[in-house]
Amino acid sequence: MSIVDLPARTHPDERTIADGNDQRKRRRRREYGLFALLVAPNLLVIAVFAYWPIIYNAFLSLTDWNMIAARPKFVGLANYGRTLTDPAFHKTLWITVVFTGLIVVGSLVIGLALAFLFNLPLKGRGAVRTIAFAPHILSGAAVATIWAFIFDPGYGLMRALIEPFGAEPPDWMNNSDWALPGLVIVYLWKNVGFAALIYLAGLQGLPKELDEAAAIDGASTWTRFRSIKLPLLAPITFFLLITTVIGTFQAFDVIAVMTGGGPGDATTTLSWSIYNEGFQAFNAGRAATLSIIMFVILLVVTTVQARVMERRVHYR
Amino acid sequence: MSMLKRRMFLGLAAGATLAGCGYRSVDAIYSQPAGSVPKQYANRTRVVFWSPYGGVNGKAVDKLVAKFNDSQHDVYVEVQFQGSYDDVAQKVAAALVAKQAPDLAVLSDVTWERFFLNDALEPLNGYFTDGFGPGVYQEKLFGEYVVKGQSWAVPFARSTPIMYYNRDAFAKAGLPDRVPRTWSELRSWVPELAKVQSGGRSLRTIAFAKIDGDWQFQGNVWQFGGAYSKGLDVTIDEAGAVAAGEWQREMVHELGAAYMASSPSTDFANGLVGVIQESTGAMKTIGSKAKFKVGAGFIPSEVAAGIATGGGGIGMLRNISTERKQAAATFLQFLALPENSAWWTTQTGYLPVVNKAREDAELKKLIAEQPNYGVAIAQLENARRQDAIRLYGRNANVQIYTGLQQIYADNAQPKKVFASVARRLEVIGDEVKRLYEEKVL
Repeated sequence: MSIVDLPARTHPDERTIADGNDQRKRRRRREYGLFALLVAPNLLVIAVFAYWPIIYNAFLSLTDWNMIAARPKFVGLANYGRTLTDPAFHKTLWITVVFTGLIVVGSLVIGLALAFLFNLPLKGRGAVRTIAFAPHILSGAAVATIWAFIFDPGYGLMRALIEPFGAEPPDWMNNSDWALPGLVIVYLWKNVGFAALIYLAGLQGLPKELDEAAAIDGASTWTRFRSIKLPLLAPITFFLLITTVIGTFQAFDVIAVMTGGGPGDATTTLSWSIYNEGFQAFNAGRAATLSIIMFVILLVVTTVQARVMERRVHYR
Repeated sequence: MSMLKRRMFLGLAAGATLAGCGYRSVDAIYSQPAGSVPKQYANRTRVVFWSPYGGVNGKAVDKLVAKFNDSQHDVYVEVQFQGSYDDVAQKVAAALVAKQAPDLAVLSDVTWERFFLNDALEPLNGYFTDGFGPGVYQEKLFGEYVVKGQSWAVPFARSTPIMYYNRDAFAKAGLPDRVPRTWSELRSWVPELAKVQSGGRSLRTIAFAKIDGDWQFQGNVWQFGGAYSKGLDVTIDEAGAVAAGEWQREMVHELGAAYMASSPSTDFANGLVGVIQESTGAMKTIGSKAKFKVGAGFIPSEVAAGIATGGGGIGMLRNISTERKQAAATFLQFLALPENSAWWTTQTGYLPVVNKAREDAELKKLIAEQPNYGVAIAQLENARRQDAIRLYGRNANVQIYTGLQQIYADNAQPKKVFASVARRLEVIGDEVKRLYEEKVL
């Protein structure tokens, strides 16, 4: 029995189906080829600039290397043991959590409030919206330089504003109690405009019927906010929550310019300690270890957020 | 489980392979950082020089280099400004990982050692000539880069801290027109200085640096009879260092006469504070900003005299071609000419690192007219090489100044702070011990 004979023996209908299958397979294969060709450049870039550093970083975290020595020394999990049991690391983690928490909650609450304000039909709101959003697009180093001036106890703007009332402003960046709140203020100022803009877009996309129906039924403004608008804005809140948590965890620019992690270790966040270990102390292994720890924390936080939100968020 | 293990193994293997291309080979020749050569200097051997000097001092570097480029036809030196001393060190390390190397780099008192210990610097004895080498340079400053008879860098922008004081404020306070002889004397001047009003508040006596204040404090510790370490054995938690810390804590928190400043020299130039301990290399910058008469003198003593040398030396990278090395050496020889060393001092305030530079007519004239420029030179006899833990312990300086910040900002007890700093320094010392014993002792 030759292969050539095979089609002749099959039922005409079956043959068509088989041919169709083959064709579809071939077409699909061709489509896969095209797909691979199209995504390859992106994939390559991601592989080189995102995956390779992560893999290399994971490898470095198992070594002791000062970046200048010709060869790193393999030390297994020693860096992890040392880091996880170091009280300084625990304090850093705590500072990072407080710092992130304050900024995330602050950005969302103030951002939402501003969004409601901007949504009112007031005169000049276009200009105010622009002003509120502007800090978000400024470079962190520039923002830090401006705020360093505002906070400066000797010749700062804050001093000029507060002193006429007989009060003396705190030495924000040189005082352990005020440095972290000072940084939070700066990051809030920088972030709030973005949160407000996204919330505003969400507010404007809300269906008016629900709100009107509730108003006719006699629901108060607060009830309508709490029971209708807020739940409908949940996807927006979720998006902002994830991006702000990740962004704040990795915040570096303003810290570097304004406090350098100090005074003492009062503003040493995880991202600053990675820089300090890596580029001041030249301990590539320990810096890599801290990076991996940060990666894992963010992965867990994001996964948990996604799981929780899956149940709570109502996408329309 | 086996799946996980296999994945892990694959990951590690991949990591190791990929990482394999990241290491430095001690004798490989690396490419030069990119840049641009003006047309008139084309066809010369290009030398890339990484510098941490900006502002007034940066302009002086540019002029020196321009003079060199116009003085001969074979070599073109390109200055690339890289930020602070720490930034230069970071970028050199990063460049080496990327298999690239500048030819010359200014390395600070606490960064050249790590490049030397890890075989990244070219030994310089082979390039010495009659006008470039031992005997030409000031002995102490030259000697700090000599290990077991071999030079690993040469002094360039070397300094010591000196005390700057606001002469106008001192006159208003009815104080003598000089710096205090001891720290106790400065403390006794606090009430007088507080009577002077400046910017709407009473003048503070002294400002301590938030960043890198451990350099000045190195001298302060000696002046109070202590040390950061003996060899690599940490002694910062012992009596002398604690007394120095306690003196500063009281000035800040008991007397309200001192504070931590992001930039003491800026505050000083703005008339906010009576005295500061600052590098002699800040002389020209402070003089150009201050709107009052600036005085300068020796750093006070207490139970002993002694100040730390600091600032930058120039190292040659090892991973460059012989041609680039030879060319780079000609620039170092040029900098060692007495007139160039003297000119650099007149433009910045840094120490003249070349002996004969002190006889230079221009410099002599400047010192006669502005005695401040002679202070650091006269004070050099009290200057010493710093304690080994700060020089060789990676990040030891950051650990110490972070501790100082806790004293200045939080009124933390020096004894407690230095005990915890000492524990960290011991770990840092252990890390470098093997290399230190093998290469330095």
